[in-house]
Amino acid sequence: MSRPVLEVSDLSIAFGGLRAVDQVTFAAERHRITTVIGPNGAGKSTLFNMISGALKPLSGTVLIDGVDMTGAAPERLKGAGLSRSFQITNLFFELTVAENLRLAAQVLEPAKRALLPIRCSTRAQAKTQAMLERFELTHKRDELAGNLSHGDQRRLEIAVCLASEPKILLLDEPTQGMSHQDTADTAKLVRSLTQDVSVLLIEHDIGLVMELSDHVVVMHQGRKLAEGPPAAVRADPQVQAAYFGHA
Amino acid sequence: MLDRLTLSMRASHVLAALLVVAALVLAVVGSAIGDTFYLRLATEALIFAGLALSVDLLLGYSGALSLGQALYFGIGAYTSALVLMKVPSFWLAMGAAAGMTFVCAIIGGLIANRVRGVYFALITFGLAQVVAKVVYNIRDLGASDGMIGIPVIDIGIGPFSVSAGNPVGFFLVVLVIIMALYAATAYLLDTPFGRVLTALKANEKRVPFLGYSVWRARMVCYLAAALIAGLSGALYPMLRGFVSPELMFFMTSGNAVISVILGGVGTLVGALYGSVFLVIIKSVIGSWTDHYLIIIGLLFMAGVLFMPKGLIGFVRPHVERMIAPRHLRETRAPEQDAPLKAEEVKP
Amino acid sequence: MNALDYLQFVLAPQVVNGLALGVAVVLVALGLTIIFGLLDVINMSHGEFYAVGAYLALALGAAHIDFWLLIVLVPVLMLPLGMVTERLLIRPVFNTKDRHVTTLLVTFGLALIAEDVLKLIFGPNTQRPPTPIPGASEIFGIILPNYRLFLIAIGAVIVAGVAFVVYRTRLGAMVRAAAYDRNMAASLGVPVSLVYSGTFAFGVALAGLAGVLLAPIYSIFPTMGRDFILLAFTVVIVGGMGSIWGAVVAGLLLTQVQALASLVISPVWTDPIVFGTMVAFLVFRPQGLFGRLGHA
Repeated sequence: MSRPVLEVSDLSIAFGGLRAVDQVTFAAERHRITTVIGPNGAGKSTLFNMISGALKPLSGTVLIDGVDMTGAAPERLKGAGLSRSFQITNLFFELTVAENLRLAAQVLEPAKRALLPIRCSTRAQAKTQAMLERFELTHKRDELAGNLSHGDQRRLEIAVCLASEPKILLLDEPTQGMSHQDTADTAKLVRSLTQDVSVLLIEHDIGLVMELSDHVVVMHQGRKLAEGPPAAVRADPQVQAAYFGHA
Repeated sequence: MLDRLTLSMRASHVLAALLVVAALVLAVVGSAIGDTFYLRLATEALIFAGLALSVDLLLGYSGALSLGQALYFGIGAYTSALVLMKVPSFWLAMGAAAGMTFVCAIIGGLIANRVRGVYFALITFGLAQVVAKVVYNIRDLGASDGMIGIPVIDIGIGPFSVSAGNPVGFFLVVLVIIMALYAATAYLLDTPFGRVLTALKANEKRVPFLGYSVWRARMVCYLAAALIAGLSGALYPMLRGFVSPELMFFMTSGNAVISVILGGVGTLVGALYGSVFLVIIKSVIGSWTDHYLIIIGLLFMAGVLFMPKGLIGFVRPHVERMIAPRHLRETRAPEQDAPLKAEEVKP
Repeated sequence: MNALDYLQFVLAPQVVNGLALGVAVVLVALGLTIIFGLLDVINMSHGEFYAVGAYLALALGAAHIDFWLLIVLVPVLMLPLGMVTERLLIRPVFNTKDRHVTTLLVTFGLALIAEDVLKLIFGPNTQRPPTPIPGASEIFGIILPNYRLFLIAIGAVIVAGVAFVVYRTRLGAMVRAAAYDRNMAASLGVPVSLVYSGTFAFGVALAGLAGVLLAPIYSIFPTMGRDFILLAFTVVIVGGMGSIWGAVVAGLLLTQVQALASLVISPVWTDPIVFGTMVAFLVFRPQGLFGRLGHA
């Protein structure tokens, strides 16, 4: 089996005196869905922020495809093949759906095209079209992203992350605030993503996690509590204690 | 496939073409009746339109308000004046102004791009004020009087030659240069790099996660804007025969900001129209009262509060509708922007 | 010249003059920093409110109203002006995305108008009101104009008064709470909208007061507001947005730097030194000397 696409070892960060994330180690295998779960305040988002370059870790390493990218700026991580979504929808609301995607796909173009008219960016255009079709947004391509429904915005957010053809995709609560039907659709969507990428997920909906994930990492108070296949994790008494409060 | 931003840009081009037609009409009429005053005034309006263009590139596209863009206008003007005193060559003066502005803008950009938002505005304001004050006190640069007696030059364009003293000829030269700067800016904005600038304005925090360096984009934009201001400024001593520290003062930068707001932020062509409009109001209202600043101030405030796209905001949507392909005709134009959401202010 | 003479005739007067200028800058910066700290508004018309204060004093002084009364009367008259400005120009754009830039631009427009209106009413010429406290005193052999000494003293009183209100009263607590977290303050029953317009008006009144006090030294002319504004902004940034002590320390420090540097180098280069200090602060300590209002 090939080397995992993302390897996190001993990653730590402290805010003030508090160790928000404390020596967390795990790996995300290729074309699999790895999910980080844990109660509120467990340090999931902080972990995500460190992996994606939004925060600099205090210690530990992050390898992407075997290359050390610890503490690199987000734009460099993007080059290394890492893409992330945000828990609170983070799009260019004043730009159209197509332009949001095109901007994301633009990194695929060779650098020498950066100063040619955008109609020369054929690869980015094609990718945009493909993404619009795949995410069923073609009829909304000229709508402003800010005018989309919440569900459409969440989908566009995933599409934007995928448009740069990353190796690993970090999704931060992609179903946040979604209706039941939308959640089910999104789950199907995320599952289908593994054809192209590896996915690292933060998710609150435990049912969804168990159904979707290949591998689950449980965090509690900044530390890794357990990891393994969904069923094994679910049966783990320590995890049950952390989640349901009975020892 | 044509998208919204390209369409808006094309509508701006239509309006820019109209401006050129109007300018040509003025040139023909002006030369027919032997006018000098209005042609000189129009030339000056175009030169300051170049400065406004550079302010709009920064404010309207990357979202950075510069309150000191006159700094680079002044650097261009002084460099051009110094060169012309020694060697009366148009192209040398323009080249030297561009080079000098570029070097200064690298220093200024390294300082100003450490910060953003209102701090960027204040730092650019301060940079210009401080340099203006230094120039104001340097005897070799003419101190507070500025430099006078800059020779009237002949501008060689291929086999032709135009004297800067010829009102129509120089007006046309300036028109060509300013429109070339406009075209270059418009071109830049329609490239992938230009789109990153648009993205910066829309949501700067998201940009690094798309794989682009915010700092680099802001810096390149700053340098391009400075170059535009510097090249426009280089034309000034050729028109007026002098330069003075006032060119770098806040009022010059402020006028450019006013032009951009009145014309329409983020439309490029609005900067040109705004600048022309400002000169017209100044001379019309100025002919019956000295207190035209009250009117301009009121118009400016009305523009900021009620007309987010200025004068062009009224006209451009109509032009867009006329030139739009069918698939873009039904949806809403970006001019009637989505209502700004209060929650987007959150850190 | 021996060292003692240098101290007495060169250094000391320079320090005291710098101190008087420092107090003047602090007075202008005080209102600016409070408005900046609470409303996040860069008030580009602050210098013009300062000028309006000076002209009000001039006009009322011409109507034989005593200077001592003006010190109270002018700021009171400025309050409604500030209130109206906040309601009409700041409030409508306060919840928009680009409000920082928008409010800056709107107040810039107001500055243009105010300057021209002053010119329209009072004419473009420089006027100089009589010094309310004439004469000079000799302290340790240094001759100092009485009015400058008075200015330094009253400046200290005003700063102490403002600091007392902001840091020690219930009213000040409301202001600081609103600066820290507007929504939280509102939910705790702070009348946020009144606090905002009140604070803006207070800042404007302080600018007016500065106008009354400084006019006898720096003269009155329509564009007088421009002279102080860059230095005042510098002081606000170096001191920390909204920090009163920061404005005081930065104001006194920067003017001393300016005064003393001008003894050694050409005065032309003192501005770049002061500005360089601001740049250094923005780059290395953007929160300023004391951090921002409500946060420290």
